[in-house]
Amino acid sequence: MADTNWVKFEIPSDTRNVAFARTAVALFASQLDWTLDELEDIKVAVSEAVSNSVIHGYQLGEGIVRLEASYQDHKLTIVVEDYGQGIADIEQAQETGYTTIPEERMGLGFTFMHEYMDEVLVFSQVQKGTKVTMIKEVPRRPEG
Amino acid sequence: MQYDFETVGQALIAKLRGELDLHTSPQFKEQLAKIFTTRPQMKYLIMDVQHLQFIDSSGLGVILGRYRELEERGGRLFFVQANPHIKRVLQMSGFQKISEFAASTADVLKRVEGGHL
Repeated sequence: MADTNWVKFEIPSDTRNVAFARTAVALFASQLDWTLDELEDIKVAVSEAVSNSVIHGYQLGEGIVRLEASYQDHKLTIVVEDYGQGIADIEQAQETGYTTIPEERMGLGFTFMHEYMDEVLVFSQVQKGTKVTMIKEVPRRPEG
Repeated sequence: MQYDFETVGQALIAKLRGELDLHTSPQFKEQLAKIFTTRPQMKYLIMDVQHLQFIDSSGLGVILGRYRELEERGGRLFFVQANPHIKRVLQMSGFQKISEFAASTADVLKRVEGGHL
């Protein structure tokens, strides 16, 4: 039988909660056999996804960000969802260096998510919201 | 998030402790901007990241903003004592092309003061 577990929670769209979200997800993920570096990678990916919801989804205004983390055996899945303004052009949004706020942002959010997770799926509808699903599998390590 | 600033000649040393993200970066950005404005002669920014536990693109954006200003002044950006994870984030975001990684603040200051830059 597969080893599974999950956690779900919602947070108000508030910059303070970005640290809570990444720490909580990393704490849950630590039930699997990651290296410390890999756990840090997961934290960065979650931080970027939640920051995107707060800054772009809700434009730093009010809203709810929903998080879900689960695993089945060695495969971790993290879902970050908002009900904000959505992304009109998902491909463009994921290009390295693309940002709607060039004076403040580096356009690296999605780049970090793609770099640190095995798979990143983005589903978005304008004026309805964005759902980012990130998957990462614990690498096979030599025993001993 | 805590930070200390120290000025040595034309160099500003920024010691970071904690996590630099969407929540903590605006205040850090404001403080840095204030120092840059009041010290137009400042050319070298030394980021002491030994005790920086976390940084993401929000924090990196603030540092990039200051780099652009340093560039206009003909200055340089340094990262000191970056742990492997922070170093990887910096490398992945292209900072190794526009900054230098150094072992200690003293090393950088020696080069800056000795006119080796």
